[in-house]
Amino acid sequence: MAEPLAYEGTGYEIVEEEPPEVLGRNLISASYLLAGATAFFFIAFVFAYFYLRSLNNGGLWKPHGVDASIGWGTAVVACYVLSAVLVRLGLTDHRALRRAQWRQKGGAALLVGVVGLVLQVIAWTHQSFGPADGGFASVYFGWTAFLFLFVLGTLLWLEMTFATSLRYRTMETQAPPPGHASGDPHREAHDIRDPLSLVRAELVGLSFYWTFLAGIAVLSWIVLYLV
Amino acid sequence: MTAVAAPPPRPLWRRLLGFNLLTALVLGVGGWYVGWFGAHAVKGLSIAYFADTDYNELSVVMAYIGGVVGFLVGLGFLNYPIARMRGYPPSLREKETHGWTRYFSLCTDHKVVGIQYLWGIGLFFFIGGLNAMLIRTELLRPNHQVFPAGTYLTIVGMHGTMMMGMMTSGILGPFANYLVPIMIGARRMAFPRIEALTFWLLMAAGTILTSTIFFGGFPTGWTGYAPLSNEGNPGMDNYLLFFALVGISMTLLGLNMIATVLTMRAPGLTWTRLPIFVWGVLSTAVLMVLAAPVLIATLGMEMLDRTAQTTFFVAAGGGSSYLYQNLFWVFGHPEVYILALPGFAIVLELLPVFSRKPLWGYRLAVGGLLGVSLLSWFVWQHHLFVSGINGDLRPFYMLSTELISIPTGFTFLCGMMTLWRGNIRFTVPMLFCLAWFFNFLIGGLSGVFLSDVPSDVTTHGSFFSMAHFHYTIMGGLVFTFFAAIYYWVPKMTGWELNERLGKVHFWTMFIFFNSTFFPLFIAGFEGQPRRVVTYSSHLQFLNDWVSVSAFLLGISMLVFLFNLVWSLAFVKKPAEANPWSSRSIEFQLPSPVPVHNFDRIPVFSSDPYGYGEGPVPTWVAPAGAPAGSE
Repeated sequence: MAEPLAYEGTGYEIVEEEPPEVLGRNLISASYLLAGATAFFFIAFVFAYFYLRSLNNGGLWKPHGVDASIGWGTAVVACYVLSAVLVRLGLTDHRALRRAQWRQKGGAALLVGVVGLVLQVIAWTHQSFGPADGGFASVYFGWTAFLFLFVLGTLLWLEMTFATSLRYRTMETQAPPPGHASGDPHREAHDIRDPLSLVRAELVGLSFYWTFLAGIAVLSWIVLYLV
Repeated sequence: MTAVAAPPPRPLWRRLLGFNLLTALVLGVGGWYVGWFGAHAVKGLSIAYFADTDYNELSVVMAYIGGVVGFLVGLGFLNYPIARMRGYPPSLREKETHGWTRYFSLCTDHKVVGIQYLWGIGLFFFIGGLNAMLIRTELLRPNHQVFPAGTYLTIVGMHGTMMMGMMTSGILGPFANYLVPIMIGARRMAFPRIEALTFWLLMAAGTILTSTIFFGGFPTGWTGYAPLSNEGNPGMDNYLLFFALVGISMTLLGLNMIATVLTMRAPGLTWTRLPIFVWGVLSTAVLMVLAAPVLIATLGMEMLDRTAQTTFFVAAGGGSSYLYQNLFWVFGHPEVYILALPGFAIVLELLPVFSRKPLWGYRLAVGGLLGVSLLSWFVWQHHLFVSGINGDLRPFYMLSTELISIPTGFTFLCGMMTLWRGNIRFTVPMLFCLAWFFNFLIGGLSGVFLSDVPSDVTTHGSFFSMAHFHYTIMGGLVFTFFAAIYYWVPKMTGWELNERLGKVHFWTMFIFFNSTFFPLFIAGFEGQPRRVVTYSSHLQFLNDWVSVSAFLLGISMLVFLFNLVWSLAFVKKPAEANPWSSRSIEFQLPSPVPVHNFDRIPVFSSDPYGYGEGPVPTWVAPAGAPAGSE
């Protein structure tokens, strides 16, 4: 008689101390998948852009005076790209075990990203047109608004990774106290063994996704400001 | 193994005060008012774009967004992100809870989430079904009698939107969440909190759609076409928010499923040993991750049109309503296969068990599932054949639509060949699977008429197309949904369902389903249009026949509901661990499955379809094999 695959009961110790590599793989795969989903989200805006532009319904695609300010647009996109580059460089530092340098670059990336968001808000209020001023105006405000939300979410992810590195900066080789983040007072151990080691996997996923999103920002810059 | 005793349950009053559904409802209502008054504050700033009325679109949108945020806060979904923002390291699970209250709170056990989905979707499925009964009541007479035309349109829209929105997760929600980790030898989904979030977002969405009746309803049916949607009541915003939340839930659900299957398969579980159900889930999840974002973006544009006065879909402002049609169907047609593919997978999963034969043409079946998934991206413009698209585009979309019948045919072929000379057992799940062949064949053949330009021009927008997609969605998905319920619920709950009542349910549902929808093909050919409250008097006999059949179909659902409640709440007959003599791994576990799924991660040595090929594999696990290692 073969040994059963499981017994009834709730032995939590079985699900504790999972190797961190598993969640690491989950995170990296998820960042690729999220990039795929994000691409299809913005394809809808690219489609809308070219559809309305080629249709030019009633000559209202881009009426006279509707031109997005290239200065503001360039500043915003430059911040996004710079932030993504800093995260990538921070990942290189983290891989080389230069944790202090990673934290510096991570903090700078966060700051630059937030500056980009603030500049975007200012840019909206300084345009010479409003959302009701034709097809281009609709695409401009819709695209930049949703990109704003995606960037905000990515910066929150960066903040979480950065905050963990900062909080445990003096004990990076030690695990935090058992059950620190499990949320269950009855747990006597982490549900992931050595959860701090996941900073690397988070950074790999984050860096990929942020670079991808910065690429979309560059695309938006080309389409909305240059073409 | 040493078992740690479960912590003693806290008193009920103590549990009610924490993060749970009750708190979520209170904070949801609070958040709703915060959003409502917040929007009015924006109006107070006299920003010209926000209409200066007490009942403007922005108020409704902001109120519901506030409500959803409050709801999620009440359930405890913000606790983990806030802890992470404060620098606490990642973790996998929320606090483990026990007993019935865990079904009313954020729970990160994939099996609890599966059961939450089953009941939650069932509730909204029931509401959608009641709407169908109201529609058929109205259509008992050729002239409107019960509801005004506008109310009738809202009921039709609510029925279609509820069914299409909720049933996108009809199989993946309850069954994939519960079974996929077990089938691949894992102890959890890749992201347990996100898994729980997808469920609660769906519940918030369903509530929002149901409450559209307080805001005047919506006139557009489930497709939400502009320009009608731009001009609709504030109830239209409920539609937009509902579908946007469903889209977010779908994207996250799909992402979680793919990440789980890609990264957490147990040792030995190669791609060619993966259960066909998991392949079906995977091909559906790919569509979810890529198609649902297009829907969210489209609804976002529509929401901006209604609140911030953009003109994406307003022709007078430089937009185009055809843009909406294109974008909606880029999502909408893959959506049809998001509904259908899990049904295919269930049929292929169950047929070997009840035929006592290996699955015929495993690789062909997988190719069929993936082929449908791929081709579904190239057919969307057949929905626009009568919308005035460029005539040169029509042949391509006609051809691509007809091509999709080839991979669908693979599924049929594999299913039929598995049945061939099998030792067939006519259990309730098997009966539902066999009915799928009949129903989906009619659905598929009638689809050829709609993919063909000349016949589509005649039948588009008529009851013919309505009958077609009910044959594919209800005949294809809902029948397999019930097959899955009868097959897996004993494993999920640990209690048997009554087989005799199950057979009564099946036969009444099968007969009255066909009696309801087949005559609608004729009504469609006779020219009865969809979404119109009146019809020609010579069609009254057909419509009365259909209405009576629909009521009897509704009664068959009550038989099922009675069986479910009777068996699970009163009789409580313990289910055997493997009542169907299945070789699949979930049936080698105790019923219900323990919280940790496996004491040790199993090692796979074959696929689960080796009926007649010796004893069930033992899944001998090397000591200490890590979870998810390959």
